[in-house]
Amino acid sequence: MPRASATTRKRPTPALLGPLSTRRTAPPPLLPQPLLERLLSVAMERGAEFAEVYVERALTTAVILEEARVKSAQTGLAQGVGVRVIAGAKVGYAYSDDLEEASLLRAARTAAMIAQGGGSEQSFKVSRAPSPTYYRVATPLADIEVARKADLVLRADKAARAFDARIKQVNGSYADVTKRIAVGNTLGHYSEDTQDLCRLSVQVMAEGKNKERRTGYYGGGGRVSFNHFDTFTPESVAREAARQAIATLGATECQAGPQTVVLAPGWSGILLHEAVGHGLEADFIRKGTSLFAGKVGQKVASDLVTVIDDGTVANSRGSINVDDEGAPGQHKVLIEKGVLKGYLYDQLNAKLMGQRSTGSGRRESFKHMPLPRMTNTYLAPGDHAPEDILKEVKRGLYCAHFGGGQVDITNGNFVFEVAEAYQIEDGKLGKPVKNAILIGVGPEALKNVTRVGCDPMPDPGLGTCGKDGQSLPVGVGLPTLRIDNMTVGGTKVA
Amino acid sequence: MTGYEQLAKKLVQSAKKKGAKQAEAFIEIGRQSSCRVREGEIEDLTQATSKGVGLRVITKDHRLGFAYTSDFEPSSLDGFVNRALQLAQAAAPNKLNGLPTGKELGKLGETGDLYDPEVANLAGDWKIKAALEIEKAGKAVDPRITTFDNVGAGDYVSEVYVASSEGMTAGYSGTYVYLFGSPVASENGQLQTSYWVDYKRFLADLDSPEAVGREAARRAVRMLGAKRAKTQQVPVLFDPLVAASFVNNIASTADGNAIYKNSSIFVSKLGKRLAPETVTVVDDGLLKRGLGTAPFDGEGVATRRTALLDKGVLRNYLYDSFTARKAKAKTTGNASRGYNSLPHIGTNNLYLEPGTRTPEELVREVKNGFYVTSMLGSGANPVTGEYSRGANGLWIENGELAHAVQEVTVAGNLLQMLQDLDGIGNDLQFRGSSGAPTLRFKQLTISGD
Repeated sequence: MPRASATTRKRPTPALLGPLSTRRTAPPPLLPQPLLERLLSVAMERGAEFAEVYVERALTTAVILEEARVKSAQTGLAQGVGVRVIAGAKVGYAYSDDLEEASLLRAARTAAMIAQGGGSEQSFKVSRAPSPTYYRVATPLADIEVARKADLVLRADKAARAFDARIKQVNGSYADVTKRIAVGNTLGHYSEDTQDLCRLSVQVMAEGKNKERRTGYYGGGGRVSFNHFDTFTPESVAREAARQAIATLGATECQAGPQTVVLAPGWSGILLHEAVGHGLEADFIRKGTSLFAGKVGQKVASDLVTVIDDGTVANSRGSINVDDEGAPGQHKVLIEKGVLKGYLYDQLNAKLMGQRSTGSGRRESFKHMPLPRMTNTYLAPGDHAPEDILKEVKRGLYCAHFGGGQVDITNGNFVFEVAEAYQIEDGKLGKPVKNAILIGVGPEALKNVTRVGCDPMPDPGLGTCGKDGQSLPVGVGLPTLRIDNMTVGGTKVA
Repeated sequence: MTGYEQLAKKLVQSAKKKGAKQAEAFIEIGRQSSCRVREGEIEDLTQATSKGVGLRVITKDHRLGFAYTSDFEPSSLDGFVNRALQLAQAAAPNKLNGLPTGKELGKLGETGDLYDPEVANLAGDWKIKAALEIEKAGKAVDPRITTFDNVGAGDYVSEVYVASSEGMTAGYSGTYVYLFGSPVASENGQLQTSYWVDYKRFLADLDSPEAVGREAARRAVRMLGAKRAKTQQVPVLFDPLVAASFVNNIASTADGNAIYKNSSIFVSKLGKRLAPETVTVVDDGLLKRGLGTAPFDGEGVATRRTALLDKGVLRNYLYDSFTARKAKAKTTGNASRGYNSLPHIGTNNLYLEPGTRTPEELVREVKNGFYVTSMLGSGANPVTGEYSRGANGLWIENGELAHAVQEVTVAGNLLQMLQDLDGIGNDLQFRGSSGAPTLRFKQLTISGD
């Protein structure tokens, strides 16, 4: 893992950040251990099988740029405790953002009500398990001066406008969070982690002839030190956003109907995330609501397809040292050469299904219960040279950059918005097309994968995944990929 | 004056004392509980209390700073006020920065009651029973309903307080209660799902759990046997749930900030006819018992009724006070926010007024077309007007709903879609704070086989 180098810039004055500032020396525990153990004991007083206390303190900073100036700078503090009690398949959950002992005890008693038994007074001791480190940030992002964060968006604005006179609007934002979590449970496990995360993003609008408007969007970051932006510069981010907008000026209507599509490497991994990732999450599997349920050992994709979910990628947006139940992040092969190998488990679903947690229990905050979720999901590279993949396609659609996607787990339908696309004619890129979207059914689309490039690429660190109203940072990755007979949505009918 | 109103006022005074030219505190207090069930048993029970305050300050040299916290300890709040002021130094001075003035804040309109004591005091086992009834009623609809992905009930009690150095101190309490179910239907190896939900301020207004369960199940079962359709251009109907999301797309296009920044297809269209006379789109912050009803918006400005499209003519854009000042317009009371965000332009109760035709009549007039009942993807780009989404629904043949369709897309352009609105149903309904009747578009592109 690349070691984050120490910054030589001067430390912020304590006055600027006040009590928000995180400390460089070992911070005190988020919740005193005796209180955490007391909460576990109260949570179990009605005779449940398992209880867990999750504590969180998150410091966020955001800078918004509009009309070439910093519109606002903001910070926030959110802290709280969630208590979860499990009795069989039943779960009680209560949280409080008031850290007074009385409020926390009330939350523990409320969560305990899910269990109906009489129970007895038991005491629980937790002890810290060492956890690996896939990201270590030398100076917490919360301790970096706001002025330096503001400078990033200002530089991005300049670079986007300098790219081309047709760039008329630039919106930029920088946001980070320094989040500390602690999880202790009645099995005696206790884990702590500090999770820094940042993202710079730029959105532009270009105006061409006849007031034609196109937009471009790019950004990235991860669980990285602030000096990440020395190499992933705001200028490079801005130029990429501007390039997209300018490149698609003059785009023609997209042909609707089935086509061969070639996906550019990188952020296109969102297709994998939607097409298969969600359908492999154990809650849907256990409830029988995913079309991948009961299919372990079966062929669900072309031989070329190997899908991995990996929480241990150094400094990636989706990485976790421990998940939000205290289990270590893992590297998991979900599909190997087209054969389904396994699912993504949190502790509850793993236990109910006789399996082990895969370190996939994640939650947005103390206000949420953990759910099985993806971390960084990517497709293993294949043998094909990316230029050969393109050359072989007589007619089709090249998808260079993507928007978001969504999936209906039950019937497997997924969509995938294409922000920058070109016609492919005789193996070469032709005109840009607009308003394209891809739709398919997960396993069918993956069976139609006919070429996988030898050019694996992670996304730049801009993915956020939503499930059950909970948003989480995730990573995705894909080499150049060819899928045949994919339905492309558009406005033109042959 | 409640303790929280006093706290909001105190924070504003403290910010002024420390040098802010203007200051505004926004406090939200919430208490919620929910229950989900599965196969006749409780799956989970959740209960929570939460609170937070956001502080917006404007310095004498016109800089804006914002901070929020959920930590209400007095010692912590002091540092919090300092932080908001210090953060302003990282922002650029802008003469247009400012809070709504006394005049802009306006006289608060009549909202009627927003708070139902019956919801606030709802017994925990009411939610359990309701959720079990949804599940039972759903399963009774058809043996092909094999399970539920999600089924439950919940309630929420909230308090909102705003204090501003421009002479505003006010607060209100509100309640919500909701029921939801998403069943899974299964036949010949095909799985289909759907969902139905009801969400009201008053318990008396809420659909019965049986009705929610039955409707959710009916919607899932009718998707069984779904197949793709051919790629073609045909008349397309949106059911009220889907139509409401289209109306939301229209509201983003009428966002005053996007208009000011030349980033919307509605730029320079004020006063122009964009849709047939039958089309009126309204945002009403005072709609009786509306889920989005409130006496004031996120910065204390009185809410009101604003017609975006009036009989097909574009009449208004939506504004908060900052954007209105930029655009030399007037705020429409559409500042939307939580305590942890700065105000941005949003809607209160947004809806398209119902027409006179029954949805059956609208279907009957279509020889070959598509009735959309659910969608995937984010929808429309307000900058370019491009509209492209994944769609599920039912195919229409000779005026009858013939069979289920999935894995297709519908695409068009928002401006063209508005012009093409050739049928408005009489079945306006709200599932949350936006509502619509059944809508029919003369033609959209379907992409499938």
